[in-house]
Amino acid sequence: MSHSYFWRKLHSLSGILPLGIFLMVHMFINSMATLGQENFNRGVSLLHNIPYLWFFELVVIFIPILYHAFYGIWVVYLTRNNIENYRYFRNWLFYLQRVSAVITLLFVTWHVIGLRFSEGVISNNITFEFVSAALNQPVILVLYLIGLLASFGHFANGLWSFLVSWGITVGEQAQRTAAYGSFVVFIILTAVGINALLAFI
Amino acid sequence: MSGKVTVIGGGLAGLMSVIKLAERGQKVDLFSLVPCKRSHSVCAQGGINAAVNTKGEGDSTWEHFDDTIYGGDFLANQTPVKNMIEAAPSIIYLVDRMGVQFNRTPEGFLDVRRLGGAKYSRTVFAGATTGQQLIYALDEQVRRYEDEGLVTRYEEWELLSLVRDDEGCCRGVVVQDMKSLDIQVFPADAVILATGGPGMIYVRSTNSTINTGFAAASAYMQGAIYANGEFVQIHPSAIPGRDKLRLMSESIRGDGGRVWVYKDGKPWYFLEDWYPAYGNMVPRDIATRAIFKVCVDMKLGVEGENKVYLDITHLDPHDIDRKLAGVVDIYEKFIGDDPRKVPMETFPAVHYSMGGLWVDYNQMTNIPGLFAAGECEYQYHGANRLGGNSLVAAIYAGMVVGPKAFEYSNGLKQRCNDLPGSLFERAKEEEITKQKALFAMQGKENPYKLHQELGEWMVDNVTVVRNNDRLLATDQKIQELMERYKTIGVGNSPEWGNQIVPFTRRLWGMLSLARVITLGAYHRNESRGAHYKPDFPDRDDENWLKTTKAEWTANGPHFSYDPVDTSFIKPRKRRYDVAKEVTAQNG
Amino acid sequence: MAKDIRLVIKRQANPKSADYVEEFVIPYFPKMNVVAALMEIQKNPLNAKGDVTTPVAWDCNCLEEVCGACTMVINGQARQACSALVDQLTQPIHLAPLTKFPVVRDLVVDRKVMFDNLRKVKAWIEVDGTHDMGPGPRVSPKVQEQAYRLSKCMTCGCCMEACPNVNPKSNFIGPAPIAQVDLMNSHPTGALQRERRLEALMTEGGIADCGNAQNCIKVCPKEVPLTRSIARLNRATTFHGIKSWFNK
Repeated sequence: MSHSYFWRKLHSLSGILPLGIFLMVHMFINSMATLGQENFNRGVSLLHNIPYLWFFELVVIFIPILYHAFYGIWVVYLTRNNIENYRYFRNWLFYLQRVSAVITLLFVTWHVIGLRFSEGVISNNITFEFVSAALNQPVILVLYLIGLLASFGHFANGLWSFLVSWGITVGEQAQRTAAYGSFVVFIILTAVGINALLAFI
Repeated sequence: MSGKVTVIGGGLAGLMSVIKLAERGQKVDLFSLVPCKRSHSVCAQGGINAAVNTKGEGDSTWEHFDDTIYGGDFLANQTPVKNMIEAAPSIIYLVDRMGVQFNRTPEGFLDVRRLGGAKYSRTVFAGATTGQQLIYALDEQVRRYEDEGLVTRYEEWELLSLVRDDEGCCRGVVVQDMKSLDIQVFPADAVILATGGPGMIYVRSTNSTINTGFAAASAYMQGAIYANGEFVQIHPSAIPGRDKLRLMSESIRGDGGRVWVYKDGKPWYFLEDWYPAYGNMVPRDIATRAIFKVCVDMKLGVEGENKVYLDITHLDPHDIDRKLAGVVDIYEKFIGDDPRKVPMETFPAVHYSMGGLWVDYNQMTNIPGLFAAGECEYQYHGANRLGGNSLVAAIYAGMVVGPKAFEYSNGLKQRCNDLPGSLFERAKEEEITKQKALFAMQGKENPYKLHQELGEWMVDNVTVVRNNDRLLATDQKIQELMERYKTIGVGNSPEWGNQIVPFTRRLWGMLSLARVITLGAYHRNESRGAHYKPDFPDRDDENWLKTTKAEWTANGPHFSYDPVDTSFIKPRKRRYDVAKEVTAQNG
Repeated sequence: MAKDIRLVIKRQANPKSADYVEEFVIPYFPKMNVVAALMEIQKNPLNAKGDVTTPVAWDCNCLEEVCGACTMVINGQARQACSALVDQLTQPIHLAPLTKFPVVRDLVVDRKVMFDNLRKVKAWIEVDGTHDMGPGPRVSPKVQEQAYRLSKCMTCGCCMEACPNVNPKSNFIGPAPIAQVDLMNSHPTGALQRERRLEALMTEGGIADCGNAQNCIKVCPKEVPLTRSIARLNRATTFHGIKSWFNK
């Protein structure tokens, strides 16, 4: 086994575990806003008061994101898309996976700088009011919508691809079923995510 | 073991000989005009014969031997044929071990089908792409030896000529890289030609465009004897087309396909009518002549054209998919109709040359050190080849020629490396000079058009029905083309990747062999196997139970004749309207 | 009915020279295919302007789609020229060499890398020798039918051409050799060297570089179940990787 095999496989895995899981948890926490301002602020402050938070953030979020992003840029670079000649469904998704990768990367960078590090590395001041103020600017809202859709699409299709790359779905039928499944994941995430987003407005 | 054996040709025979040589630790240079996986062997469809008797019909190697000799109208030398037939089952087992995906019986044994001229089901098959499957397996084995460093492959290289020393022995080859048109010389202790048939002489045939027979023609022009050239098999069923006549495997009939035309408004199964004992399973020469008679003489072809129906619409579609998918797909792709639903329309086409370079029982030509195997030699099929025997003959010949070439090269007193370099330089310089002359040809004739003309004459006059006046006229025509050849213009296309100059070179080889075929047919005043003359409708064993041997001279081929080895089966009349009688095994 | 067809051909004199486009007009005949059209240019090497030109160079052998030689890009898609029927193509017909392999001349490319890849993944069955050792292993018709589909691969290069991850920037060996590993590993004797082939697939440019665009299975003219083989071997290499790590 070469290093490239290991890192490539790890790239596929890191998108699901922990990043995909984190994405879902993140949307779940955001959804607290749908139950009101207080609820959201309480949830966030609870989160900020769990022990060893920095460790979780570093190992479960930042390192995987950085790895997934930088290796991903390399993967995108190695591709020569050919959608104009081979207009197949899977090829479209393959292409969109790369487009959404770039969008997601930009979005997440902007999002993290804007919110998580808005007041330095140890900023803990994320409140409903703060988010709401930002999202009430139409440009920011639209950018968030685009960013969310891109990350959900990237995750859902990445999940399908992960199942193939790890040899879990082998047969054509299994892969098709998994495709429906990943579409359902996309829809649910989109519904939950947008619902949470709108709660701030 | 410092010597080198060179194999020219990466089809079944060539690859098998390479394997046999490499297995002995012999270093081999393998030259192939195309990547081995694209050799013409891929086109073989029906299967490979061996009396494995898995259907319990009582088949035996003797029966297979007798069918082959009888089917070949007794022209084949019987000793090598008998050896081949006896080796056939072990050949099947060998390639099976190499991973060829043969069809299987429910119990997991090799499935067999029946082909024309055979009394029993003895054709092992891999769908309808058996040749492709076989060559892939051999190619893989050669790749393994390549990986071990024993074999060096030169793919997309062509043989130009042989290097012969002062005693006339073959000492190497002058070859050309088809990309750069670079000419190089490779010394060798023994050279094996496994370069396939010359079907392109007819232009429109079931052959691949690479089957110009140039390597054999080149050897012939350097003194190798060409034998039985006049025996050219016309396959009964191919899809008519302008660029190619695409083969529709005999296995279609073997698996139940029926041949018919309308007569008085009703389907007429003329093969079943005329040959009740074999029906649609008559050998190729018989079926082809019957179709010719129906279409040309009786004017009963489909829609008045030269076509008959080949019908599988009554067969189980799943069986068709399992056994015939390869050919059925070709028909669908090129014609657009689904043969499962609509009868196919086919017509005979030039398919295989029974003739080829003369070889002895060790596969060596009359030039010491030059061996030949596969369709480019003449040894195994007599006057007509049975379906399924070409693959076994190609592999068997490869199995014989490898060890024989090995023995020969190790028995040499002087190895090629001990010979003066000037011998090789001279041979190379000669070819470079010839190539310069080719590039300098700036006349008005187009080589491809000349080729077209040659093909039209050959198809019209030297195929199914042969008349002496037409044969002579054809020879005249070939000579006229040879005159016009001198005024060919090759244009000013640069050397790199040039395809016209190599083609023009091959065209001369084709013209030379066309004369061998045509005049060989002219001289042979009898009818035997694929060679049929209405003026001499019967086989004449008294005068013509002979091998034709053509030698190149500046004034055209010079013919001589050798007696045929009939040491096992006494020649008897060949007929397929009644069941073939059983012969006693006396060998 | 006299009708003409128009060909727009991307040409290139040699690997180093610049490419250019030349147009040809050729008389039509029924059931004509692209190879037949190119043959007409050989016989009459005039371009659409009526100028004498060098005939277009291209590869072809069998003309019945079993040898794989005449693969080229026809109207944007990789396929065999022999089975590309003019009646089914939009005109003008655009011909170009495969883009994933070095051009030799005009439509001729050098696909040696595909054969080298077969060597890299050790796509052969290791037999002890060619001497008579009796019949091979028994195989069920069902297993044979699956394997036969894989063994029809004619190394034509369509899957390589259509794969977005096969390109000069990447080392990806492409779908074709992966399917051959599946074929060899599914053979009872071939399975004895199974792990060696898996390891070959796990090297740089191996199976992990597949990005699941799945164009390969769409363009394969022989309907080789490439994506299935890739997924099967994804599973096999994953297990093999984990197992060998724990066995270290």
